[in-house]
Amino acid sequence: MYNIIGKKIKRIDGYEKVTGKAIYGDDIYLKGMLYAACRYTDIPAGKISKIDISEAKNIKGVEAIALYKDIPGEKRLGPIRKDQYAIIKDEVFYSGDVIAVVAAQTKDITYAACEAIKVEYKSYTSVNNPEDSIKPETRLIHPEFKSNVVVHYPLVKGNIKQGFEESDHIIERVYKTGFVEHAYIEPESVTVIPDPTTKGYKVYGSIQNPYTTRKTVALFMGLNLNRINVFGSTLGGSFGGKDDVINMMACRAALLAKITDKPVKLTNTREDSIKESYKRHPYIMKYKAGFNKNGKLKAMKIDILADSGAYSSQSFFVTWRSVVQATGPYEIENIQTDIKAVYTNNCYTAAFRGFGSPQIIFAQESLMDEIAEICGISPLEIRQINGYGQGSITASGQKLSGHKVSLLQVIKEAVKKSNYKNQIKKFQELNKINKRYKLGIGLSCSFRGCSLGAEGTDATSAIVSVQADGSVYVLAGLNENGQGLRTSFCQIASEVLGVDIDKVVFLEPQTATITDGGPTVASRSTLMGGKATLQAAEEVKKVIFKVIKKDLKVENIEDTIWAKGFIKKNKPAENIKPIKFEDAAEKAYGAGLNLSAYGWYSSPEVSWEESTGQGNAYFTYVYGCQVAEIEVDTFTGKINILNITAAHDVGKVINRLGAEGQIFGGVAQGIGYGVLEDFNIQNGEVKSNNFDEYLIPTIKDINHIEPVLIENPDKFGPFGAKSLGEPTLELTSAAINNALAFATKKRSYQIPLTLEQVFLGKNLKKPSRQSEDIHLSKNKKLSPKISNIKITTPASLDESIDILNKKKCKILAGGTDLIIRLRMKSEQQELLNIYNLPQLKGITENNSGISIGSLVTFSEIIKNKIIVTNFPVLVKACSLIGSPQIRNRATIGGNIVNAAPCADAVPPLILYNAKLILKSQKGTREIKIQDFIIKSYQTKIKPDEILVSIKVPKPEKKYYYSYFQLGRRNALNITRMSISAIVSLDKNNLVEECRLVDGSLFSHSQRLTVIEDLITGKELNNIIISEIEKPLFELINREIGNRWSSEYKMPVFINLVKSVLKDIKDKIGKS
Amino acid sequence: MPEIQFTLNGERRTVNIEANDILLDVLRDKLGIKSPKCGCDRGDCGACAVLLNGKSVRSCLIFAIEVNEQEITTLEGISKNELSPLQQAFINNNSFQCGYCAPGIIITATELLNKNPHPTREEVKENLSGNLCRCTGYIPIIEAVLEASKRGKNE
Repeated sequence: MYNIIGKKIKRIDGYEKVTGKAIYGDDIYLKGMLYAACRYTDIPAGKISKIDISEAKNIKGVEAIALYKDIPGEKRLGPIRKDQYAIIKDEVFYSGDVIAVVAAQTKDITYAACEAIKVEYKSYTSVNNPEDSIKPETRLIHPEFKSNVVVHYPLVKGNIKQGFEESDHIIERVYKTGFVEHAYIEPESVTVIPDPTTKGYKVYGSIQNPYTTRKTVALFMGLNLNRINVFGSTLGGSFGGKDDVINMMACRAALLAKITDKPVKLTNTREDSIKESYKRHPYIMKYKAGFNKNGKLKAMKIDILADSGAYSSQSFFVTWRSVVQATGPYEIENIQTDIKAVYTNNCYTAAFRGFGSPQIIFAQESLMDEIAEICGISPLEIRQINGYGQGSITASGQKLSGHKVSLLQVIKEAVKKSNYKNQIKKFQELNKINKRYKLGIGLSCSFRGCSLGAEGTDATSAIVSVQADGSVYVLAGLNENGQGLRTSFCQIASEVLGVDIDKVVFLEPQTATITDGGPTVASRSTLMGGKATLQAAEEVKKVIFKVIKKDLKVENIEDTIWAKGFIKKNKPAENIKPIKFEDAAEKAYGAGLNLSAYGWYSSPEVSWEESTGQGNAYFTYVYGCQVAEIEVDTFTGKINILNITAAHDVGKVINRLGAEGQIFGGVAQGIGYGVLEDFNIQNGEVKSNNFDEYLIPTIKDINHIEPVLIENPDKFGPFGAKSLGEPTLELTSAAINNALAFATKKRSYQIPLTLEQVFLGKNLKKPSRQSEDIHLSKNKKLSPKISNIKITTPASLDESIDILNKKKCKILAGGTDLIIRLRMKSEQQELLNIYNLPQLKGITENNSGISIGSLVTFSEIIKNKIIVTNFPVLVKACSLIGSPQIRNRATIGGNIVNAAPCADAVPPLILYNAKLILKSQKGTREIKIQDFIIKSYQTKIKPDEILVSIKVPKPEKKYYYSYFQLGRRNALNITRMSISAIVSLDKNNLVEECRLVDGSLFSHSQRLTVIEDLITGKELNNIIISEIEKPLFELINREIGNRWSSEYKMPVFINLVKSVLKDIKDKIGKS
Repeated sequence: MPEIQFTLNGERRTVNIEANDILLDVLRDKLGIKSPKCGCDRGDCGACAVLLNGKSVRSCLIFAIEVNEQEITTLEGISKNELSPLQQAFINNNSFQCGYCAPGIIITATELLNKNPHPTREEVKENLSGNLCRCTGYIPIIEAVLEASKRGKNE
């Protein structure tokens, strides 16, 4: 039994993180420090003909501008192949390349200087499709490497030809996955300080792998490693992502620090982060499988093309993991796998939690379900027939031994916990009844090599140091990335020494104080770093034992128990008292003994033969199985994830709280990968450049996640622990895809399973809204920071009108839309801040209706009793706007005047015949809301007018209502489409009046009069509802038929209109 | 340079600002209040949430000048003396990993518990639906808010 291992242990970095006191990269502030920003390229591929910094360097406050020529050391960098630039010379490889870096006294000045650097180019045709990249006629992205192929790994086992000949069935499928952004919530930040003591630099920041950063900066600056000391700040998420990108940023900041001899901080905006940082590799995977009619796999041929983007970075290692694991955890005699990574002018791709496994598992596990279907067996049986057991031989010819091969055990546990077999029956029954919403259940499983394997050197370091009072320091060569490494390592030291974890302090890491422990990647920190910590703690324990063995009257350390701060004999004996740990420590200290020890753990032997892809790839493996239960809205293609059961063999749980946390977090990322995260890059230009376009799961997109931790202690790891971080993510998308096929009886070969992918069977990419704004603006703006603003805050409505009469101003009425739009504008803007004018607030009621002040917030609207009673559709629509914080600030007036086609308050106001009251010095006028909005972002407001209130007549009769809003997620949406509907009946129960209003479909919301007229005077029944299809199609086709999105929007909107009418019909039936 | 005055965590503060200064930047860079974080700078992530007159708002979408004579509370103001039950529940439930989103989430959940001391699971989810977290999968966050709601006052 352990004292602390395996228990639920609260994180040791809890206090600073829940109080906001933890210091992240951008929280660092030093007196006299300069701010830096990067001048990115304007094009994704081409040759620079001229860089003009003359205007920029004359801007007051600019202290340095650094170019390629200023680099003192190595100009080309990269973890494996040197093909990357922190600052490019004259060749542009992708849209995240940096041409110059600026240091200035304020952030605003750095951005202004970047804008002022003028660059001229000759554009190349950008190579963006990896299938084009390998064609012989394609331009070489890096001609000096003679090929666009970065790496090619073959793997050959058995005789593939014979294997297919012996098969009863052969199927071939092509699977595709896209780029994925890490989307850590903290954008990268690095601060470099000149250090006169070492004549080098101190580097602080959001750094995942401090030793890699040190090496890169040292090379770039032409300095020895001991001149660069890297300190990790608290890291705001990484997931493999804060490696190469932060290293490049550190190089740039170091160069500016050298030129100015001042501390320099470089923090990315989110847009810069998404543009520059690397992504998960998109894969095109061709699978050919041969199998017997009973489901036994005979042969598998796999061809994979990975998009490495502009640089090779980690492609060598990412694709290597894929080649080892591409056939999944199945024993197949005959295999041929070829994987290639190729250069393009896209974002470069590198490490991301999973590291080459989520792609192949999506393909492999989708394929297994299809094979099962062909053979008429269940997904469970196909895996039982082919799955690895003890002693199985992998694709690379490795015999699985020396650890428990627990694949079938994890599947069994996942199936049991999820009640898989009963759920299948239940879902099948329910799907017979339900027409619109279909339920699905699917599973996926995997094996995964632990740590780096034959990728490279795999060793790491830790120091455990006991102080004279019995308190303990732990120091590690690996980094806390948020995963909980500090807590686990302190737990291990605490367990070995038998001291309370509160007595153990994890020291702030710095590269100068401990040997390079390699990167914190590959789910290796607990396994490798934990083992090094264990070894160090055991060394110290031996030293302390020397000074107490006499007192305890024991010979061997095994005869003692170290627990709860005391050291005692195994077998209690009279007259021998347990010794307090601190007394023992003091005694050892007094005896002149060294109570500090170095742990160094080097992995057991692995091997790899490049030409055949054979060898013992990893020294141990983990196994996992996930079951996904989903609901699919077949009217819209929207997937709702109901439950994910995640069973993982972790060897041994160190911190149960942390292990479960890894599962919750990894599965949530897997859900994002499988369903939501559709990175949009077109012709090398990143379109989804912030969290409005790149959608990660919100709290409402996660329902239930059930962690199942299985323990088969491993002989290598500390206390038997292995890996968990990455397996949690890699399985989810495949399980969801299999559940989707169960639900819809249609199979998807591509993720993410967006609305369009599910509904149409293909993805549609949309142009970004922000980029539309850029094109509208005369001056393209490089950084989305607000500049050039004047704000006047009038004391009264009269004063506001007076000001508007004299000059042109934009009204600031909450700012939640306006500020976003202003970020992309460079021309001067004058704002009139009316937010606190009392005359424009409040909701009043009179005989005819209500009056809503234009500054009433959505939070006020949705809880107002009069509105809730009389205008339920308005309440429903407003309650779905943005987020609670937006609704606390945003105003109904702002929403109307901004006139976005997706403005959620507008359709219900049209529905309820709202009128707007506009005031100017000339007087007051009333206008119907549907006459006010002309088109997208355009209204009939005059420059001297203010919207003061919205008048909504109270419904004079009983209306039945229905509302549906479609968003890609379950919260934080930009409405994809909405439909607002009310219907009243005459005394014969025929439709007396019907009002229908679209949202986000046409360029501005409008009444669907064609449909309203069709229904009016008739009984609302299924026949009439189906009759609306044709005229509605014609209406939409006429208005938006040639838009990129109409292929999806037309049929779905028709479905939605029909569904709200059915809903009203049902409500009538019930009343 | 205009001057604004406002109450920050119970103290009267005066600061000189530029017209285009965003509240988040003024808090972080001019007043040294570092708990609100910048994640997206356009209202999509919630890491910068602060309480404005007791209501949670996104401080990246408010000009500093707009808070003249208003009241702002950040995490620094909530945990002046000891951890609130909510903060303690966050530690108990492993409700953060990297911790970058935690200040915004704790601020938003504090507002929720102030106006609704015993929220349902669905109400917790609705109220935190504007705060993105990439590490935790949200489940431990929901558990923490529900645990704190059983323990009493949170400010």
